[in-house]
Amino acid sequence: MSLIEIKNLKYRYPGAAELALNDVSLNIEKGEFIGIAGENGAGKSSLSQALLGLIPQFYKGAYGGSVAIAGLDTKTAPVSEICKKAGLVFQNPFNQLSGAKDKVYDEVGYGLQNFGMEPSIIHSRIKEVLTQLGIWEYRDRNPFDLSGGQLQRVAIASVLAMNPDILILDEPTSQLDPVGSEEVFHTVDELTKTGITIIMIEQKVEKLAEYCDKIALLHKGHLIAYDTPGAIFSRDDLLELGVSTPAFTTFAKKNDLKLPNGNYPVTISELTGLIRATGIDVKPLLYSLNTPNGKTSSEEVLSDAPDANFKISDLHFSYVPGRELFKGINLTLDNRPTAIIGQNGAGKTTLVRILKGLLKPTSGNLMFRNQNIASKTVAELARAVGYVFQNPDDQIFKYKVLDEVMFGPLNIGMSQKDAEKSSRAALELVGLTDAADKNPYDLELSDRKMVAIASVLAMNTDVIILDEPTIAQDYKGREKIKEIIRSESQKGKLVIAILHDMDFVAEAFSRVIVMAQGEILDDGIPAEIFAHSDILEKAALAPPHLMALKEALIK
Amino acid sequence: MKSISLYTDNGSWLVKLHPFTKLFYLLAVILIPLIAGHLYMFGLTILISTLSLLSAGMLKKALPLIAFSFTILLTIFIIQGIFYKGNVSVLLSLGPVSFYKEGLLYSSQIGLNVLNMLLSFAILVLSTSPSELVEELEKKGFSTKFGYILNSVFQIIPEMMGTMHTISDAQRSRGMETEGKLITRIKAFIPLISPVVMSALTSTRERAIALEVRGFGAKVRKTYLYSHPYTATDQIIKWISLLSIVIVIALRVMHIF
Repeated sequence: MSLIEIKNLKYRYPGAAELALNDVSLNIEKGEFIGIAGENGAGKSSLSQALLGLIPQFYKGAYGGSVAIAGLDTKTAPVSEICKKAGLVFQNPFNQLSGAKDKVYDEVGYGLQNFGMEPSIIHSRIKEVLTQLGIWEYRDRNPFDLSGGQLQRVAIASVLAMNPDILILDEPTSQLDPVGSEEVFHTVDELTKTGITIIMIEQKVEKLAEYCDKIALLHKGHLIAYDTPGAIFSRDDLLELGVSTPAFTTFAKKNDLKLPNGNYPVTISELTGLIRATGIDVKPLLYSLNTPNGKTSSEEVLSDAPDANFKISDLHFSYVPGRELFKGINLTLDNRPTAIIGQNGAGKTTLVRILKGLLKPTSGNLMFRNQNIASKTVAELARAVGYVFQNPDDQIFKYKVLDEVMFGPLNIGMSQKDAEKSSRAALELVGLTDAADKNPYDLELSDRKMVAIASVLAMNTDVIILDEPTIAQDYKGREKIKEIIRSESQKGKLVIAILHDMDFVAEAFSRVIVMAQGEILDDGIPAEIFAHSDILEKAALAPPHLMALKEALIK
Repeated sequence: MKSISLYTDNGSWLVKLHPFTKLFYLLAVILIPLIAGHLYMFGLTILISTLSLLSAGMLKKALPLIAFSFTILLTIFIIQGIFYKGNVSVLLSLGPVSFYKEGLLYSSQIGLNVLNMLLSFAILVLSTSPSELVEELEKKGFSTKFGYILNSVFQIIPEMMGTMHTISDAQRSRGMETEGKLITRIKAFIPLISPVVMSALTSTRERAIALEVRGFGAKVRKTYLYSHPYTATDQIIKWISLLSIVIVIALRVMHIF
């Protein structure tokens, strides 16, 4: 008997017309590392919830088929029993805290207390998992004070403390920065050695390819395939299914590099191994890597860059008097779409908030199109500079998507008619024309993010600032955002984005600014910036996957 | 994160006392002057509470609480001193305004009562961790669900207050004025408060699942990681508190007070 047996599982959420899971059958053996891939709405999270019995015990609705976990029928066994066998870690680390404990140590012990375990056993278990995950030093901290990556590790520790046979991770890094994600992936990597069965839902396909024994590919509730990463990512229909291919596989496909078993390589080591084994000439391969964006030199890009938008000179800023974050920044922003990259705490958000007028510089000059804006209020600047916040739920308050999008345009004095016209155009651009009359809260997070973007686009500002637009987006969402950046740029608008996703930066932007500790370390076109490995290292950034490949090939 | 709990662990003897001991003390100190019916008894309990706070180095933190109530108390003194319905004997006159003895006595009673309660509550609130109090109560059979609600309030409210700030920034970015005339502020209220409430509601569901998968619904008796030592001092304070109440009642019944 397999550890997990799913037979003809069907499920429909109450009030929904479509099945969220449609006749899914698969078996998972003990000790396997299973990935689940699919676009948003494919049924990935529903599947993970069915494994724990949350579907159908917590979420009602129509349910058919069966799921058995270590012999427990998840339809009838109490969730409090099932969760001794299988633990669930979900996307947002903040929402999975118990909310009742003010120390990391106590938070990790919370589940065991509920099971009525002996306190002495709980204490030793807490110590064991905190040490195992490298967060013993945080034991006395308040969980709410930790960064996302630290907190997600606390969440994993809290689940592991209950000693489950199975660990289910539902996009555990989708809301984390690269360092935070790396912390979590490293943790997961370490765990695989302990023999625990891991099921991971993930959009970062390179990670799935690296870790998984097998991948379950879902689309619209159907299980399309259940196979090795090599077989899954060699499929030709992945893009239609809304799943991207690992950068290395795309590269291999383009250059027709196949493994002896007929699959394409999916990891960097497989790919470089193959290239070395077959003895192919590396030069043409390197050449094909050298043309991201289709643009090769800085002059070419600069030539179509008109006059300066923002002119910042000798900008100083500090949150706490006496501790300066910006010690005299000088920067000119023209019309090229610009990405700002750097670690958390590097000052990226602070910089764009100053551009937007949400923060006031302590001293220095801040000009926007030859006007001094240092003293203007945020609302006054609203017409010129638009800013899309990271979390759409911080701004959504209307019951209709269209009304939500029209809020900004009406605030800056557009007439009802113009506001509606502009809002509908913005909704079309983000691909939500059909959702105009829906309640924003009925949409998925990825679509709510699009609503937030549309609500700023509709204001028709000269500058658009995007804070982490790709978080929570799947392949199609990312492509959509790329398209928005391109079309807004073509309209002569300046698009500035803070991003952690280096592959996206390399594909969508013509200028990259690297920040660390309140300073600008580097500034140029992506191909140049990502070749400066010393600076990237200093800013604790990883180059895009293809740049890493290039380095490996040169060696 | 800025905590809304006033508790800090300064290692003093009040912190080391068992939470229940402080509850017994609270009960005694509030009831005794009321039962005794003499103003000087308030003086006595206020003195004990003040000295306790002083010796534990917490008096300074209690002062803002007292200062806050002071303005209200002063108003009561003035109004009751002049207008109390039983006013007969004039105590002092300031021009056309006369203060009466009865009114002032009545307001002193209210004032001392408030002060007494504030100080004794200050002892509990300043020296007891809310989660520890709840945990001890749960051990005595208090509902764990209700205990969870009490605990989470202390964690989640500060979290929501942080969100408010971001929301205000997000709406201002969309051209909404939040400052200026009253009407502007009223208009800004809905766009500011709705996202807080809505995201609180949506995260509630996720939080419920989070609790469920951590065995919140398990039908076994919970265990607790810590137990606050119950010392001889705790015993003594508890029995003195309870005995004092009994004695005051007895004295009152026998009309000695």
